[in-house]
Amino acid sequence: MAASMRLLVRRVIRLSHRNVNVTAAGLPGRSGCCWAPSSCRCFSDAAGDKNTHFGFETVSESEKAKKVYKVFENVAQKYDVMNDAMSLGIHRMWKDMLLHVMHPQPGVRLLDVAGGTGDIAFRFLEYVRSQQERQKRRVARSMQTPSWQDISNNYSTEEEDGPQESTAVVCDINKEMLKVGKQKADSMGISAGLSWVVGDAEELPFDDDQFDIYTIAFGIRNVTHIDQALQEAQRVLKPGGRFMCLEFSKVTNPVLARLYDTYSFQMIPVLGEVIAGDWKSYQYLVESIRKFPDQEEFKGMIEDAGFYCVRYYNLTGGVVALHSGFKL
Amino acid sequence: MFRNVLGRLVTDTVRVHRYVKSAPVIQRLTPTSVSVRSVSDVKDEVQQSFDASLLEFLVCPLSKKPLRYEAETNELINDELGIAYPIIGGIPNMIPQEARLIQKDTDTSTTPTQG
Repeated sequence: MAASMRLLVRRVIRLSHRNVNVTAAGLPGRSGCCWAPSSCRCFSDAAGDKNTHFGFETVSESEKAKKVYKVFENVAQKYDVMNDAMSLGIHRMWKDMLLHVMHPQPGVRLLDVAGGTGDIAFRFLEYVRSQQERQKRRVARSMQTPSWQDISNNYSTEEEDGPQESTAVVCDINKEMLKVGKQKADSMGISAGLSWVVGDAEELPFDDDQFDIYTIAFGIRNVTHIDQALQEAQRVLKPGGRFMCLEFSKVTNPVLARLYDTYSFQMIPVLGEVIAGDWKSYQYLVESIRKFPDQEEFKGMIEDAGFYCVRYYNLTGGVVALHSGFKL
Repeated sequence: MFRNVLGRLVTDTVRVHRYVKSAPVIQRLTPTSVSVRSVSDVKDEVQQSFDASLLEFLVCPLSKKPLRYEAETNELINDELGIAYPIIGGIPNMIPQEARLIQKDTDTSTTPTQG
């Protein structure tokens, strides 16, 4: 069993060397289905369901959603541990970078889609709270020698903290991931300004023009119809709202690319098996990264959805890209 | 002394039973919070307060129309389409496939009484 797995992995590495330079249009992926580890499922549904990729496999679109759900249902409990193990803790830096670029001010409303265990939402609330404290300290410092006018003003505006309340809504299609996130929040004692909703990124249960910031961190590659998710993001954002997406992308440096591929296909499924007891889910993870469009193509997709001033930041040499766009 | 031990045993088992019913996965790091939150009344209150603030921007994903919170069945009702979204553990489940169809003739208690 282990020997055949090793053969498999070697085959996949050879595959990935070829796939790295291919800009992921759907076509090379479909030809890759012959090499797929499990039985090739290139059937097309009688109802005219289109085919899409699930890692290096080809599946029907309705199946992909179910399979992705299964993957995250299986990994939910060990998700955070695995993230730390696989990325050697670097994922924390990526998420901190997202918050740094976002630079949220107190009083904004965040929607974190595919937020699962709530990493972004927690960081957001912490950031905003530290911002608020900084503001208060600044005000207190300037109030060291108050005039009579200032003192009387202060008495009348004591309840200003009300409208400054920032809220974060975490939306995910998977109940298990949200459950883990909610438990984390309860254990950390964070409940104010945090809400959890089970929802589909392609069909968000939110009204138009509601959120100041929409984030999706390491989730959009699992969505079956990425353009629909982008259109929904466009819909729920307020005019002037910001769309931010953290996702694994194409590594620019060829040496680093080789190292990254070797690490992805050799180490990550093994870690998955050892820590979470699930090889296949992590095999899917690394394969889905290879199938996702590269930085420029994804930028084009975001612009097609109607966002302006779209730009991306490469993190860790292109391993992760942070895309940002505005709804104007 | 035995009475104290017995009393503690009884309350602990009651706590464990209550907590097991309401939360299948238990965080071992917070034993204190377990004893505080094991009272099911507190949990229900917490669930309800989550809901109210969300209703400002939560809508039906299919029709994008506002929803009505039904306290008895703990569901969010879209009267227009006649579907109800369940709320499990304080988290509303807004996936259309998981929504329940409201039978208009049998469910008289949920028929809208709008003016």
